[in-house]
Amino acid sequence: MKEQLEALQAQALEKIAQVADLAALEETRVNFLGRKGAVTEILRGLGKVAAEDRPAMGQLANVVKDAIGSALDGRKSDLSVTADAAREASEAIDLSLPGRRPKGGHVHMVNQVTEEIIDIFAGLGFQVAVGPDIETEFYNFDSLNTPADHPARDSHDTFFVKPGVVLRTHTSPVQMRVMEQVKPPVAVLAPGRVYRVDYDASHSPMFNQIEGLLVDEGVTFSDLKGTLMHFVHHLFGKNTKVRFRPHFFPFTEPSAEMDISCTVCSGSGCRLCKNSGWLEALGCGMVHPEVFKHANYDYEKYSGFAFGLGIDRIAMLRHAVPSINHLYDNDLRFLEQF
Amino acid sequence: MRISLNWLQDYIDIDVPVEALAHEMTMLGLEIESIEQLGDDVQGVVVGKIIQIEPHPDADKIVVCQTDVGGDEPLQICCGAKNMKVGDKVPTAVVGASLPGGFQIARRKMRGVESQGMMCAAQEIGLPEGEDGLLILDEDLPIGADIKEVLGLGDVVLEIEVTPNRADWASMIGVARELSARYQSELRIPEVALIEQGAPIETVISVTVEDSELCPRYMGRMLTDVTVGPSPEWLCERLVAAGQRPINNIVDITNFVLLETGQPLHAFDFDKLADKRIVVRKAQANEPINTLDGEARKLGEEMLVIADGKNPQCVAGVMGGADSEVGDSTTTIFLESAFFQPASVRKTSRQLGLVSESSQRFQRGADPEMAAYALDRAAELIQDLASAKIAHGVIDHYPTPFVPREVTLRYARTYRLLGVDVPPEEQRDYLERLEFEILDHNDTEVNVRVPLRRHDVSMEADLIEEIARLYSFDNIPVSLPRARQCEKVFAPQEKRIRTLRHFLVGLGLTEFYNWSFSNADEVERAALPEQYRAMVKLENPLSEKQATMRSSIVPAAIGNAARNLNHGVPSVSAFEIGPIYVPGEGDAMPGQHNRVSFVLAGEMESAHWSRSKRVVDFYDMKGIIEELVGHFGLTATFEASDWLTFQLGQRATVRVGKHVVGTFGRVASAVARAFESDQVIYVAEIDLDLLLSQEVSEPQFQAVPTFPPSVRDLAVVVDSAVPAGELREKAAQSGGKILRSVELFDIFEGEQVGAGKKSVALNLVFQSEERTLTDKDTQKAIDKVLKRLKHEYKAELR
Repeated sequence: MKEQLEALQAQALEKIAQVADLAALEETRVNFLGRKGAVTEILRGLGKVAAEDRPAMGQLANVVKDAIGSALDGRKSDLSVTADAAREASEAIDLSLPGRRPKGGHVHMVNQVTEEIIDIFAGLGFQVAVGPDIETEFYNFDSLNTPADHPARDSHDTFFVKPGVVLRTHTSPVQMRVMEQVKPPVAVLAPGRVYRVDYDASHSPMFNQIEGLLVDEGVTFSDLKGTLMHFVHHLFGKNTKVRFRPHFFPFTEPSAEMDISCTVCSGSGCRLCKNSGWLEALGCGMVHPEVFKHANYDYEKYSGFAFGLGIDRIAMLRHAVPSINHLYDNDLRFLEQF
Repeated sequence: MRISLNWLQDYIDIDVPVEALAHEMTMLGLEIESIEQLGDDVQGVVVGKIIQIEPHPDADKIVVCQTDVGGDEPLQICCGAKNMKVGDKVPTAVVGASLPGGFQIARRKMRGVESQGMMCAAQEIGLPEGEDGLLILDEDLPIGADIKEVLGLGDVVLEIEVTPNRADWASMIGVARELSARYQSELRIPEVALIEQGAPIETVISVTVEDSELCPRYMGRMLTDVTVGPSPEWLCERLVAAGQRPINNIVDITNFVLLETGQPLHAFDFDKLADKRIVVRKAQANEPINTLDGEARKLGEEMLVIADGKNPQCVAGVMGGADSEVGDSTTTIFLESAFFQPASVRKTSRQLGLVSESSQRFQRGADPEMAAYALDRAAELIQDLASAKIAHGVIDHYPTPFVPREVTLRYARTYRLLGVDVPPEEQRDYLERLEFEILDHNDTEVNVRVPLRRHDVSMEADLIEEIARLYSFDNIPVSLPRARQCEKVFAPQEKRIRTLRHFLVGLGLTEFYNWSFSNADEVERAALPEQYRAMVKLENPLSEKQATMRSSIVPAAIGNAARNLNHGVPSVSAFEIGPIYVPGEGDAMPGQHNRVSFVLAGEMESAHWSRSKRVVDFYDMKGIIEELVGHFGLTATFEASDWLTFQLGQRATVRVGKHVVGTFGRVASAVARAFESDQVIYVAEIDLDLLLSQEVSEPQFQAVPTFPPSVRDLAVVVDSAVPAGELREKAAQSGGKILRSVELFDIFEGEQVGAGKKSVALNLVFQSEERTLTDKDTQKAIDKVLKRLKHEYKAELR
């Protein structure tokens, strides 16, 4: 039996070395190790072996079985590699053909900038508030200390729906709507559509502004400067210079305009900045006592700052868009650039 | 306003470079629009004297002049102007000279005759346009002198923007005063020396002010023996630098004093005033006046006029009348200096559509004290420059003199508002430098009297702004406030809208952003249902196209698609999130609701080497709406719609539960044509507020299946008219607990299934949470499904 087993092993190993593909290898496995295979057949005869030889024979049989098994595995692995390589070679394709690109959409430029601004201020604790586009003159003007005979209230500048009702000319009325609802502290940011009777390459009758308001005890002009500088450095980069200069708005006192160093020439002077090196970025100031009066806030106790900026202008500066009208043309050849 | 530095130096010594000055002015609030170096682009232009003029041998319209520019020989210059004569001195650009616009002067031939330069008109050397032809210079000017020096072209002009609160800045003295506060250097206001002679003014003219409310102060002087003529060079120079055109000495003097002091003046030709009277009154309805700009105007009852015994001669504070205009023959002048109520001047100016240097100053509030100085200053100049005699005395109707305001400043408030500690003495110093009179002060506060010209200062915060300006905003430190938590969340939906926007962009849609405007015609063209015709109308729209606020985004969406397709864009996949507006009931405010609209047009899948292109269809849009509703954790159902905007058989109403949330479909051909497109366009509009208002709880965990699914395909034959989606629903409902999902993967019509029939193929997935399913389990469920479909639709297993 021992000889039988050893011969079988030699035979099997030789056969395994010769097979050329996986199917033939499987056949070989069945022939030797399968239920009706040669090794199995021999082992069936183990019962006829003398009892004292049986353990040694059994051990030998297992050695032979393992040897054939491991030869099969080795050969299988070799044959697989060859087979895979052949198949893969036949599956080679033209790498230069264009891929299937999923068509991505684009957030509108105005909203890209709006969201970015909101995120910057959200980090400082500001939350978003909104108000209606169609406003009363009270919220749009009176409550913001803009008297009835102020030129801005003229129909040359403001769209009227009916007496006392206008399309808001700025997002500032949201200030009052917010302050009416809560006591300080207030830290809000109000983006939205605003309207003015003006239409040319740099003016659209509808455009977008974002309003900011922070009111609490101890809020100062120096906080205003710090907040807006933080904003500019995040939106336009750390190297952008900022300056605040006195200006006039009816609803802030003191009032300022904030300029940033020109985004094109960085301050050396160019056509965009009219050689001044500066670009007007936004209007701001400390909330006017009259505005607090309308909000029923105690001016002795609280102070606050407000600012308003044109989102369209910032978007245009960033992307060098020459005319505001591109923003509302809804031309995909424009929108898909950004 | 144009500020000439040469002129400014009359009132204050400026010894800093222009850039530094411009910066200081900016930091005071005087915004610099531009800095203009006069004559910067004029080189090589000198004073020339014409010594001979001869006709050109070959051209009627050109003459050949010999012009002496101080060289050895006169220059021969061909010239097309007509207004010069031999002996005139004119600006002469010699060969090599350059003029504004980069124009270079070279030797050239004009119709065969050599020309060695060019004689210039005013505008050719950068001056305001004068009379036709060459600029004839003062005959005393030295021949050969650089034109820039003799005409003051070396000046620098700062164009400033005066904010509406600071009327007092709209003058040379006003700007000089501000700079004197900044630089702490002396302000020089010219002293006035006038000689009153002749009869007392009251005996010559009668002045009546009927409306002291609209005209709180009215002053005047009489000037006789006036000689009207050209102004001297220095005066012309000032006006030219300020951007004005010299006219005659009287007009020029009133303009000069206006620019110098900010106080508008008006000179009447006294001999043309009926009854030798001045009456300051309101106009009668439709009372006519011919204003100085050559217009015949009709006045309104609310407008204040300066009339003579009969007719209005001047629209108070706005513009004079032509009838009493000072001209060459004028010898006697009544000179007016007044304070008119700002609101009244603004209203009149607006109603007449007439804006003047005068109205702009009065409507912001003039300085009632400056009225007196300006009157005397102008009278003196007329006396000196038009050899006039000033009558004794002055008319001064000022029944209720303005009382200067007194304001108290608590030093501590400055710190509270600015965040910087400015010592009390420094605060007082700033205020004093700005000519606030200190009435009283102690350790904690100061009480000041506000100059009458400062209409903008009435409270403590105003004084703090003054201190901040002089302290300089630049010097206020920078601090970052701590984060504040507000007691309320104001707009929780905004965050969800933002998430939605990015979700939709992720689906491959691009965001549109249309104006909020619309018009009735657009709604008509889009064939929107009746309720969309109720629109919020504007009283003063920019044009008929923007006459209303939009009641729907649909018309804009169709228009957007049409325009893009017409531009050759092959595919439109877009959405817009934005408001629509509905009129309020009765007196109520109009309403505003958020909508999301979609537009799909052209190719949905572009041609690619691996597949052919595919044009948009109904199910592209339906799928997007299912995704949209699904994004909110809701399920949409669809039913046929009757909107005429969309094509019959391809239009659907979207429901979520019991709410109709929107409508969509393929834009009807006639509607598409009305928007200039013949292509396939699908549009949807969904009520976003309604979706946002549906309460949906956060998704909760469900066990991930541990037993394998059993998958079966099933094809049934039904009548073609059977809605296949409904059949799928029924199948899904009838398979029992183990039926996990039913997908409809094929629809087939053809001979094999018989006429009027179709085959619907379903893919069913069965799965149990408790055990591996046997064939018997699945077959039982399939039998139930088939039974139900047979019952409902007479479906036969294929």
